[in-house]
Amino acid sequence: MDLMTPEGGTIFWTAVTFVALLVILTKVGWKPILKMLDERERTIKESLEQAQKARIEAEKTLASQSEILEAARKEAGDIIARARQSAQEAREEIVVKARSEGDKLLQRAKREIELSRDKAIEEIRDLSVDLAMAATQKLIGKTLNKEDHQKIIQESLSELGDLN
Amino acid sequence: MLALLVEKVAQGHQAVEHASEHSGSGTDFIIHDILARPVIKLPTVLGIDLTITNHVLMMWIVSALLIFMFKYAFRKRQQVPRGLANALEAFVLYLRDDIIVPNLGEAGKQYAPYLLTAFFFILLSNLFGLVPGGATATGNIGVTATLALFTFVMVQLAGIRKKGLVGYLRHFSPPGIPVLLNIIMIPVELISMLTKHFALAIRLFANMIAGHITVLALMSVIFFFRSWLISPFPLALIIFSSLLEILIALIQAYVFTILSAVFIGGSVAEEH
Repeated sequence: MDLMTPEGGTIFWTAVTFVALLVILTKVGWKPILKMLDERERTIKESLEQAQKARIEAEKTLASQSEILEAARKEAGDIIARARQSAQEAREEIVVKARSEGDKLLQRAKREIELSRDKAIEEIRDLSVDLAMAATQKLIGKTLNKEDHQKIIQESLSELGDLN
Repeated sequence: MLALLVEKVAQGHQAVEHASEHSGSGTDFIIHDILARPVIKLPTVLGIDLTITNHVLMMWIVSALLIFMFKYAFRKRQQVPRGLANALEAFVLYLRDDIIVPNLGEAGKQYAPYLLTAFFFILLSNLFGLVPGGATATGNIGVTATLALFTFVMVQLAGIRKKGLVGYLRHFSPPGIPVLLNIIMIPVELISMLTKHFALAIRLFANMIAGHITVLALMSVIFFFRSWLISPFPLALIIFSSLLEILIALIQAYVFTILSAVFIGGSVAEEH
């Protein structure tokens, strides 16, 4: 056995072993593994593409959603502003109405007071005439005629008028 | 360099044989360790000695282990590989993407099984040579010559398959040169091709035995000095060499595979 001389037996067994190994490993190893690698690469590529697509879709959805949200927010703002305005208007209206109502009531009250006062003055006047007549009758003892009567009333009325 | 080494080993062998007549220790284990030893004696058939040597046995062990490993790791299809399958897949993926496809392109699919088998076979043979009690089958010139012969055959087949027999043979005469120059060019091309493959066999063989010879020679230093005191120094170097051998085992498997891929790639490539 020499170090640098290839031996027939070694070559023969190496060839046999190697060919057998090549055939068996190709069948149980390389073909399934390479196929699996290809498949996995395809799956990964497809998944990535799908993810990309999904992302674009999601971005689109998000954009449209934020658009919707923006619109809704704007509308809400509008509604609030409008409500506030109408409330303001209603308040003012109510205040104005209340004030006019109040004024009306006051007016009526004044008028009633005036009426009552006039009536009271009238009554006082009548009463004072009667009293004057009664008093004069008692003092004079006779009934004054119509003219005297009238004259006296006028006098006392003017006095009352001064009081007034 | 190699011849020198071999000569030295042979000299050492003789010297030790001579020395061992006087003492029991020596360095004959160096050559003994490197050369194939018969394990099962078989008859010689048609001039071929079919004796099973330890190197043949190691090849069988390596082959059986490879088959078992791949069968076990990939016994069920899984989308996400784990453990051994993941490790083996990393190798396969690396070989496919960084050696086979760059050198062979799409045609690489056809030659991937050969290159993958060669890589794993050589890698495991190299590594098993480092296991105590193991033998380095790739440190046998017969084994590496056969492997290089397979690459040679693959190169020829690939070229003929791609260009046809005539087209392939025409490739030995580069286009655009005077016809008479072919007298020189054709032998040069032929020799350069044979040399490449011859170098492929020698490179693997020499790298594998060189590491062993280094380690064993360092070991024999201890015996030469016959002193325990000297032993830490060779031991440190032996550990270093052994680690280096692990690296070389990987590198040589890689080199053999990538060169095979380059040769096949050159054969299937369009004319330049």
